[in-house]
Amino acid sequence: MNKSKNIILKLLLINLTAFTVFSSCDKKNSITEPDGKLDKCTLRFSWWGGDDRHEATLSAIKLWNEKHPDIEIKAEYGGWDGWTQKINTQMAGDNEADVMQINYDWLISMSSDGKGFYDLNKLSDYIDFSEYDDEILSFGTRNNHLNAITVSMSGRGFFYNSDLYEELNFTYPTNWDELINLGKAFEKHDVYPIDLDIQSGGTAWYLCVVYVQQKTAKTFIDMNGNLGFDKEDFKTALDFYSELEENKVIRTIKDRIDSDGADALYQSPAFIDGKIGGVLEWGSSVGKYEAVLDENVLEAGEFLSDENGNKAGWMIKPSLMYAISADTKYPDEAAEFLNFLMSDEECAKILGTTRGIPANNKIYSYMEENDMLSGISYISTEKLNEIMPVTVSPYMDLQQIKDYCNTALENVSYGKASTSQAAEQLYTSISEYLEKIK
Amino acid sequence: MRKKTTYRNPVSTSKYTGLLLISPFLIGVAAFFIYPFISSFIMSLYNYRMNITPDFIGIDNYKNILSDKAVTESFCVTLKYIFTLVPLKMIFSLCVALILNIELKYMGVFRTIYYIPSTLGSNIAIIILWRYLFTTDGLVNQVLGITGLPAVSWYGEPVPALWTIVLLRVWEFGSCMVIFLAALRDIPKEQYEAAKVDGCGKVRAFFRITLPAIKNVFIMNFIIQLITAFQEFNAPFLITGGNPLKKTYTFAMLIYDEAFAYNNFGYANALSWILFTVTFIVISIILILWNRLKKD
Repeated sequence: MNKSKNIILKLLLINLTAFTVFSSCDKKNSITEPDGKLDKCTLRFSWWGGDDRHEATLSAIKLWNEKHPDIEIKAEYGGWDGWTQKINTQMAGDNEADVMQINYDWLISMSSDGKGFYDLNKLSDYIDFSEYDDEILSFGTRNNHLNAITVSMSGRGFFYNSDLYEELNFTYPTNWDELINLGKAFEKHDVYPIDLDIQSGGTAWYLCVVYVQQKTAKTFIDMNGNLGFDKEDFKTALDFYSELEENKVIRTIKDRIDSDGADALYQSPAFIDGKIGGVLEWGSSVGKYEAVLDENVLEAGEFLSDENGNKAGWMIKPSLMYAISADTKYPDEAAEFLNFLMSDEECAKILGTTRGIPANNKIYSYMEENDMLSGISYISTEKLNEIMPVTVSPYMDLQQIKDYCNTALENVSYGKASTSQAAEQLYTSISEYLEKIK
Repeated sequence: MRKKTTYRNPVSTSKYTGLLLISPFLIGVAAFFIYPFISSFIMSLYNYRMNITPDFIGIDNYKNILSDKAVTESFCVTLKYIFTLVPLKMIFSLCVALILNIELKYMGVFRTIYYIPSTLGSNIAIIILWRYLFTTDGLVNQVLGITGLPAVSWYGEPVPALWTIVLLRVWEFGSCMVIFLAALRDIPKEQYEAAKVDGCGKVRAFFRITLPAIKNVFIMNFIIQLITAFQEFNAPFLITGGNPLKKTYTFAMLIYDEAFAYNNFGYANALSWILFTVTFIVISIILILWNRLKKD
């Protein structure tokens, strides 16, 4: 018996020591330095998106393989739901793809010290940084390490089902009051002017934040993770959400869950069948909504203002970024491929605006000269740029923050809490969480 | 007296041979069970987040669990799920096993057909199809409409939402049923014939002969179902996503979110150990009570 106890104790001690030693090992010790040449290899490239982005990217990879037969690209792609969790799992096991499309908040959650991704500054022989504005490059910098390059800047805007609006003879709203009034008018036809979700996208809370930011000129969370809203602001946001539901501008959460289960809004039969008149979506990701409707049915709307025409509070962010794994064995080759995705004209022709309007100046000019900048993604981004949007804090995108906000919305929607109670709880949860992770 | 003959084993029989032969299994268990098991406990003593050097924090993660409202809520959901599913599945499986134990022509075909849901049950595609059955305009509400019953808000209300998951798991009764069926077929028919001669009815025979004969199998099946229910993840994750109001958000979903959505691996491991400990205690109590009952 004592012998068994000793063995167990020894095993525990060995494990504890091994764990401490291995977990303390700094990633930078195992980083492969660039060797200045392109070797024959296979690279993994991962991204999320809708079918439009998948098809375009696979075609771009085909073009790459024709140009670089020695460097094969293995594609790994899927939808957004669950994608962060998948990449988290891969990162935890040091098994992520060599080149990755990443989300803005991943720089905080996966590379808080700037060492989670490869420092692209070391790969300047391959990547032409001169084609990016300093501000664009600054978004991907953590602790002086250039972890990622912004593919495009994008904000969420309204996109409407033109068939439905034409059929009912309504124009797209331009301010909050018009939006609220549309709810009752649409109700007569058993349809909704827009819908928002509380799934991973979390568009419901996003619109509430825009509303409060426009009204108060405050920022929800700043770039350093400081909370800008107070309890009263949270209450205003939740009151606004209640107003949307009460006036039938959007479906209640209960109706949405009943109809769609855990599905995203673009997969919802109500949206596909034309019973939802509009959605709030990133310009860079609206393709998935376009794809399920007839061609050219979805149109970009206005960014809503208050009664005085004030359009402040709308937000923009690096919608997508490219990063290279800190564990890649082929940094030179990965950088060459990344540069191809970002600045090759033929590639840009294939990719179009499936990842939004390119942040690379050379490609932007090329697309502009060749009339390739069109479509609702472009129109929406242009409109957004005209109203001087504020930059979204990466902290706002963190899953835990989204979950707190969605829980508050759900409690209000189901009548489980008053807007004051939910606002109080939300303020406390977010304040404590930000304090913990900053 | 005939002299006893011994024969040489064709395989070398050194004292290490046995060990060598079972070594693949031992290596597998050590690498994929013992090591992760111990590592998980050690990791639970750290503030372990990706790309940050882990900090040793002792039992702080366990202390935090005690005051975490999400833990209490998800644990209550898991208990509700267990108390609904396990008895229902056990009773349903036993009923089907009793029916399939009747000697009829082509009964083998029926046994195969009834087992099919279990072979499909863990399939993600089936879970997704199940989800569509219970939507507002899904097949279930359409059938209710035809029969004149009102449509049910399956996913929008907490109780029906939990039931959609319970019904899926009950539908996958095959494995549970097969274990019962095997036990039922081992009961000598003479016992029933003798009871019949003595004027014993079918219901009485079930309680006096059948249940006592399969009691060990019953308790084993019960424990298997209990362990599986404690770990429920796939169905609520895919069908309801934990909605509405987190009333289908199980403990396993919380562990998953803490690790992979919130990047809080140390805390997630501590939660895993809590789940393991609770399951272990519950099973131990059941077995102790069962042994006492048997002695009585």
